[in-house]
Amino acid sequence: MDQTTQQVLAVLFVFATVVLVYTARYFQRRGRQRALRRIAGVERVGEWTKQSIEANRPLHLALGGAAVGEDNTAVALAGAEFFHHLVERANASDVSPIVTMSAASSIPLGQDTVRRAWRSGDYLARAQWYPPDIAYAAAVTGALQGEDPAAHILAGSFGPELALMIDTAGRRGQGSLAVSDRLEGQAVAYAMADEYLIGEEIFAAAGYATDDGRAQADAIVLDVWRALLIMGVTIVLMLEVAKRMPWLNWALVLSVSALLVVFGLLIYRRHLPEGDG
Amino acid sequence: MSEEFNWLEYSEEMEAAALEEEGRSGRRGLRRLLPRLPSLRRPALPRMPGIPRPRLPKLRLPSLRRRGGARESHQPSAADILGEQLNRPLEDLDDRLRALRERSVEASQPAPSHQALYAVDDLLAGPALQDRPGGVISAVSLSKAQQQQVEMLRDVVGGAPEAANAGGRSPRFFSGFALSAAPRLLGSAVLLLAVSLPFVSSDYAEGDLPPAEFHEDRHEPTTFYNLLDNLTGDDYVLVAFEYGPAAAGELDILADLLLRHILAQRAKPIIVSSNPIAIVHAQNVIRAINRSLDLAGEQLLHGEDYFLLRYLPGGALGLRELSENFDDVARISAKGLPTGLQFDTLDEMTEIVLIAASADDIRHWVEQVASAAEGRRLLVATSYAAQPLAQAYADSLDQVIGPIVGIRDAYTYGQKLETNFGALLPAEASPQEPEFEQLDADASSDSQAEGRRGPELPAEDAIATALPQPTETAPPTATYFATDRPQPTDTPAPRATDSPTATATATEAPVRVVVVTSGQRVNIRRGPTTVDDILGLGYEGDMFEVIGANGDGSWYEILLPGGVEGWIAEFLVDERLVSAAELAGAQASASAADTQRGERAVLQREYMLRLGKPAPRFYQAQAPASGDRLEVALNRDRAQEIPRLEAMTLGTLAAALAIIFGNVIYAARALLSLRGTRGD
Amino acid sequence: MGRGQRFGIALSAFVAFAVGVTTALSLLLGDNPALFGNQPGAEQLAELIAAPADALLRLATIVVALSIVIGIANLLYVHAGKLARGKFYSAVLLASFGFTVFWQVTRPGDTSLLEAAQLPIESALAALVALSLLHGGSRVLGKRADIWGLLFVAVVVVVLLASAPLAELAPLQAWRDWLMRVPVGAGARAILLGVALGAVVAGTRALLGQDRSVRG
Repeated sequence: MDQTTQQVLAVLFVFATVVLVYTARYFQRRGRQRALRRIAGVERVGEWTKQSIEANRPLHLALGGAAVGEDNTAVALAGAEFFHHLVERANASDVSPIVTMSAASSIPLGQDTVRRAWRSGDYLARAQWYPPDIAYAAAVTGALQGEDPAAHILAGSFGPELALMIDTAGRRGQGSLAVSDRLEGQAVAYAMADEYLIGEEIFAAAGYATDDGRAQADAIVLDVWRALLIMGVTIVLMLEVAKRMPWLNWALVLSVSALLVVFGLLIYRRHLPEGDG
Repeated sequence: MSEEFNWLEYSEEMEAAALEEEGRSGRRGLRRLLPRLPSLRRPALPRMPGIPRPRLPKLRLPSLRRRGGARESHQPSAADILGEQLNRPLEDLDDRLRALRERSVEASQPAPSHQALYAVDDLLAGPALQDRPGGVISAVSLSKAQQQQVEMLRDVVGGAPEAANAGGRSPRFFSGFALSAAPRLLGSAVLLLAVSLPFVSSDYAEGDLPPAEFHEDRHEPTTFYNLLDNLTGDDYVLVAFEYGPAAAGELDILADLLLRHILAQRAKPIIVSSNPIAIVHAQNVIRAINRSLDLAGEQLLHGEDYFLLRYLPGGALGLRELSENFDDVARISAKGLPTGLQFDTLDEMTEIVLIAASADDIRHWVEQVASAAEGRRLLVATSYAAQPLAQAYADSLDQVIGPIVGIRDAYTYGQKLETNFGALLPAEASPQEPEFEQLDADASSDSQAEGRRGPELPAEDAIATALPQPTETAPPTATYFATDRPQPTDTPAPRATDSPTATATATEAPVRVVVVTSGQRVNIRRGPTTVDDILGLGYEGDMFEVIGANGDGSWYEILLPGGVEGWIAEFLVDERLVSAAELAGAQASASAADTQRGERAVLQREYMLRLGKPAPRFYQAQAPASGDRLEVALNRDRAQEIPRLEAMTLGTLAAALAIIFGNVIYAARALLSLRGTRGD
Repeated sequence: MGRGQRFGIALSAFVAFAVGVTTALSLLLGDNPALFGNQPGAEQLAELIAAPADALLRLATIVVALSIVIGIANLLYVHAGKLARGKFYSAVLLASFGFTVFWQVTRPGDTSLLEAAQLPIESALAALVALSLLHGGSRVLGKRADIWGLLFVAVVVVVLLASAPLAELAPLQAWRDWLMRVPVGAGARAILLGVALGAVVAGTRALLGQDRSVRG
């Protein structure tokens, strides 16, 4: 693919996303709400929020290395949006959540999150920065020992050092939800955290934490793109297979593709909330 | 959210009425819908001194909630208590909860409309108050978000503290600590024992050491080595140091080796990183090399032998900056001083070497740097964790070479380096091989004094005894040809002992030759691929006798002066027919030209003839006796290398066993509990 | 909401929108004369379009680099507060911060502190991470006793065992290579694709000035 084609496709892709986002928002606003598929991880968060209030223990919200101004800016913004909707519900609590990050440029995001939850207090001190990577994991586990958080919501950019944080949380009987845009961190999140999100779910999480139609519309757009991508990959795959095996019948290839798509839709429906879809 | 709840009219009488209503309708409150709180995460509530804890009324638990719980304990579960404690008298609540309750009333007052509050149905709806029967009718209109805050507070105040303490942390700490810590301690102890045993005694050595050559199936690591081996004193190499102290255990040996290799070729590494700690760490690696050079009396100098550039902030953005404005980046050193380097683009780097611990760093370098500097190869050395992604890039992009992975590949690389450079050690450095010195001195003086005349070739057994044996695991050099990659040709390989003059005088018939047409120096390789070792160099006008070709004619098999065969790519040469005399004349003048080029090619050929293997580029540059840079390549501290490898093997096995063992137990528990639930 | 506040939000949204769209278009369309038909002047046009993105990205790099100062200020502020509440470790942190600054000022360029303190401590922490990972790995089925958990454990075990250089385990190596190349590679790419998709959607929101950080 030459550079010109790439550029044109990229512009088209961004434009299509904008159109999709606004279309989804329009329908959400009109009340034709499309239910989001179930993500088990976010459902648990509500329980922790309640525990946080009832036991006077803070929530620990971590952005990790997600930094505004770097290539994972989008992750930082998505994480902060998710946190925002979480603390909005927890702001009846006596105790403010703690937001930690290892990217200094994300400190304002963290402070903003705390400020909304805890207007009267010293919100500056509840958004805490520590040096990146393993030092961050060690510092956070140490610094939060006295705070005894109810749960850790780790949504941002983490490497294998995530293991240290989740392990410590588990030992202290604190819940953990983890998701990372980095593969190493994602693997650790899956293996060790009580709840996990995968890949793009961090961008959709805000839509699950709120009734705000805009956030939900974004989550739906993400689902649409994902479905299109899966279909595209499946079709290309089937075409490749057909090319390599000339004896294959076109009708067979097409029917297998159709079956796969139907199968995918069925799986998708199973993930919809009960009584929906 | 159809009905709205009026807190102002709420009273205990109403609550009692509601309870009664619930009792009549057989419902136990909507709290039974609340998911069971897992016992592990019951939060502890700080006990308030002086305030009596509320007494629980002894109520029979509904049978519904006993399902599956009988085996766990006879204590009421959190959810049970939550259900029972729906509506406690206000005076039973402790101060904090009372304050919260008050706040919930406050929250029901209409708030200023600009508060951007968003409702949170799915998450925290839990037992929705408005669904409660009891006739409470809304009088004050609350926003959706406020209602939910009220619900949440009510939820919390209604049920919680006993739930929190029923299985609270302190009892679990005393009774369960030993039990929960035991597997962790056991696993850690086994792992620690496994990784420390090899350092104590070599009796516990397990597993084979890595080979002295990269496996035949893995062409790219060999290419990696050869590319660095092709460097010369005119070359600059961009070395990306993308790992900090945490990955030092895995990558330091590799980084040390790669830097030594580059420095030994007299090329100049320009070290750069998007991680400030990594820059300082790189400085330490260079220091360690310098310390090993103290013996040799030479020191590597910043600004002459190597360069440390300022760190690149902003992750991928910093790398973008590097690829787009390399001229600016290269001007400032890590200490903020001018480096004196003047480059326009990254294309002026001969190679780009990336030493990275994480997959993301590799991704950033490929996406931001390699794609911008399309003419440059990216040589990747990485950790085990990042191997899959690095391998994927190497497989799909020609530009990405590698990866060389972790300690095991580092060992192989070190072996290769030492075999090649160790062979160059002057005799006084290896007194056990006195004949080598003799040979060496003879050969080089001959070639320098007499130009084209072929050297007196030693017999094979003399070569075998003369060769230094740098390490135990290096292949014996006498059998080098036999053990090396099979020759991809039917033509029997001429022996190194063939007389060079024999080929020139054997016949007067026209000889099929190729003439190098490329304006640059070209590589002559051991086999017909660019991955094969480089045997020597050809310059424009050099003439070689053709003895064969590969299947598709893209490579010629040629006979080098001295009788060793090599391969040269078809597109670099023209094929001709010449007389034997013409060939000899051309080769003689080529040799003279070689001498003018600083004996590089002459020495290369001498080396090749005597050892029958590729010469490190260093050797081409100057005579080994004055080889100051040999120290760089060879003075490594290798004391810990083998125990480390063995520790890694044992540690891996121990980890695998611990993971299997632990998961089998958990799987068994899961199966048992499944059966138990069905039995109920 | 006061008029001033509303104006502030509108202004910040506008600035975010303007900068976002300019950068995106500049990045997407810049630096490729072929896009403009390679006519005379196309090259200058392409360069002109690429210029704002270059400038803004360099600016972003500088801002990110400077933000470390905010980070340090935050660290000091947080731990000074904790120290006031009698937290011992915060005192240690502040003291070691002061000591390191003093050391660097009096001995510029000296990295012995790094060698003597940071290197061993970070290495020890890396070892702790390894232990945590081992512990986490040994109880995956305790967390997720389902088919995916089982698959995860199976792959981990095969990859671990195959990486041990034992002749008895050699057959596993072919499996490992296949696993790493095909399913693991595919999964990793899928996750990265998902993240990229999400980044585009979140980026679009930021681009249009709709993000919370802008909306206030």
